[in-house]
Amino acid sequence: MATMTYLQAISDALREEMRSDERVLLMGEDIGVFGGAFKVTDRFIEEFGPQRVMDTPLAESGIIGTAVGAAVVGLRPVCEMQFSDFVACGFDQLVNVAGKMYYRQGLPVNVTVRLPSGGGFSGGPFHSQNPEAWFMHAPGLKVVAPSTAEDAKGLLIRAIRDRNPVVYMEHKHLYRRVKGEVPDGLYETDFTARVARPGTDLTVIAYGAMVHTALEATEDLDGASVEVLDLRSLVPLDRDAILASVRKTSKALIVDEANETCAAGAQVAALIAEHAFEDLDGPVRRIATPDVPIPFSPPLEQAVLPSVERVKEAARELLEY
Amino acid sequence: MGASGTPEPLVDVVMPQMGVSVSEGTIVAWRKQVGDWVAYEEPLVDISTDKIDTEVPSPAAGRLTEIVVEIGTTVDVGTVLARLATDARPGEPHASENGAPPTSEAAAAKGETPAPATPDPAPEPAAATPAQAPRSRRRYSPVVSRIAEEHGVDLSQVEGTGRGGRVRKQDVLAYVENGNGAAAETEPPLHIESPYRPDPAPAGAPAPAASAPAGVYEPPAPQPLSRMRQSIGAHMKRSLETAATCTTWIEVDMTAVQRERRKLGVTALAFVARAVIDALREFPALNAWMEGEKHTVHDDVNLGIAVSLGEDGLIVPVIRSAQDLSVEGLAKRIKELAMRARGRALSPDDVQAGTFTITNPGQYGSIMATPVINQPQVAILDLEAIVKRPVVVTDAQGDDSIAIREMTILGLSWDHRALDGALSAQFLAAVKRRLEGL
Repeated sequence: MATMTYLQAISDALREEMRSDERVLLMGEDIGVFGGAFKVTDRFIEEFGPQRVMDTPLAESGIIGTAVGAAVVGLRPVCEMQFSDFVACGFDQLVNVAGKMYYRQGLPVNVTVRLPSGGGFSGGPFHSQNPEAWFMHAPGLKVVAPSTAEDAKGLLIRAIRDRNPVVYMEHKHLYRRVKGEVPDGLYETDFTARVARPGTDLTVIAYGAMVHTALEATEDLDGASVEVLDLRSLVPLDRDAILASVRKTSKALIVDEANETCAAGAQVAALIAEHAFEDLDGPVRRIATPDVPIPFSPPLEQAVLPSVERVKEAARELLEY
Repeated sequence: MGASGTPEPLVDVVMPQMGVSVSEGTIVAWRKQVGDWVAYEEPLVDISTDKIDTEVPSPAAGRLTEIVVEIGTTVDVGTVLARLATDARPGEPHASENGAPPTSEAAAAKGETPAPATPDPAPEPAAATPAQAPRSRRRYSPVVSRIAEEHGVDLSQVEGTGRGGRVRKQDVLAYVENGNGAAAETEPPLHIESPYRPDPAPAGAPAPAASAPAGVYEPPAPQPLSRMRQSIGAHMKRSLETAATCTTWIEVDMTAVQRERRKLGVTALAFVARAVIDALREFPALNAWMEGEKHTVHDDVNLGIAVSLGEDGLIVPVIRSAQDLSVEGLAKRIKELAMRARGRALSPDDVQAGTFTITNPGQYGSIMATPVINQPQVAILDLEAIVKRPVVVTDAQGDDSIAIREMTILGLSWDHRALDGALSAQFLAAVKRRLEGL
């Protein structure tokens, strides 16, 4: 066990998996000599060489397309999008080529695409998005989003080994803010949900950075016992864990940092409405970012992102309902 | 107000079709009298069929104008039982009731001045209560409704602590925990971990019956038996008079079953049911009906499970084609049927066509019984308490030792007209083998 930041845990997963499996290689913009925009692959090029830590042109379509080709011939590429927002340029290769390859040709596409996502640091509309729902809507792709250092490592190793294309959402705001004990060596974390805090009166469902917002907001709500469920995986969605928790508490609040319409939380809300209706004791509530671009202005950005206060207020309303 | 002799819209209340097999029913009680206001789907009349007792909900809102079929009469499905006037309004006097004052709004609408009311010769207290119901009506969340139904709770009695006095899940749960709710008190577990109860405190000296004069005993007034008791009594008597009933017992080591069932979170009954189904497939002669000279051996196992309804009696809902279900599937169906039985929500089809029955009164600690066969079936299996006992076990080397095992005694009552003792013993051995070989 070592204490690591979320970012160090991601680096550790990449490093350990590259050491143990020669098929694993990294591709991305400035990930080699520069060590990556966020220094996730700092000094990787010294250990693994430019053949396995490839600096690519500024062309996301080319990065993902090349990775798909490499995967088809048996390699296990991990692509870094410098910011998750830029994956839009690689959309066709990811959604149409990678996602449908197995269905069309029977060929597994063992590609992992790392998407540094999320806001909270005045990055503005091109550097703060949470585009996970785009990929949840595309059959053939898996989507995961860790909230802790331990899960960041375990989910990434599991993603690299998964024979399907996996979109790995790493939240930039957590990079150096979240620290935790991370097991040494190689381990996999299943694509399932995790109870971040058990409780009996209300379930707050979140993933990524919003898990921490949910935990903080419900830490002390006049003695109420609030369960926080960390989804960890959005595709596949851990239906059993979601329904079990809601059946226990009968009340659900879902928090998304993404724009509200058709976000992951909308899918969770639909699932609860359809399958846990008879166990509900209140409306299914959602908190998400309104359907607007993320503003540059710090006070405006704080106004649109789900805050601890908003979650608290909604949790209180539901508890009292 | 339809007071001016316009023909009022009448709705017939008919004897409903309850399941495919029921062709007639008997009126047990009218819940409303002529002139009473009835809400849509409000229980109007209690009826009894040869399979089940149930209530008929009102097909419409209105005033009961006529009761056509009196209590105790048996009529065919589709027969008109009563008529409702649907133009009536709660709280309004009926069109035919001369002299009753019109309500002030209605009068105002017609531009009339309310005349001083002649006192109504037959005041109708019933009309006033339903009139208020829509105004004070509360909405309940799905989970609250479900819990109330499961525990027989009248939600109007529950105090709400939620927003605007809403009844929340915790309110209804607290209400049930405080000993309210019908089913909550009477629902016994289908099985319990240990049949033993702490010894009761030694009773003090028996209280002398000081006030009772010696010699003359005044019994309390006798009460008529409920319809269910009458029906059970007739059925049991007929069975004992019809069948040549014998009972055979076998001792079964349930240790493996207990371990597995705890893992799955189901009752031992579900495991016994599954083992019985398998054994019935091996010995189909026990999965049969005996009706006079007619002997029917079934392919499907339609498994009846006796469910106690407390002091009221018991009922045997049937799991059709039970051979298709896993242990977990059986456990789920048993639980669901028991819930519905205790909620008096079984339909006649739920209690039809059983080919074999299991009864499980073991939760009170009894260890052996001689169950009565459910006619026209030819056998019934009785599962009593599972009790830890010291027993002799033999290990792989053939050495004996004494071990603590969870044991039970399965009793099979069987009809000597249909089969013989050897077959029933073989059947029990097959059940035992399956339960012990898990």
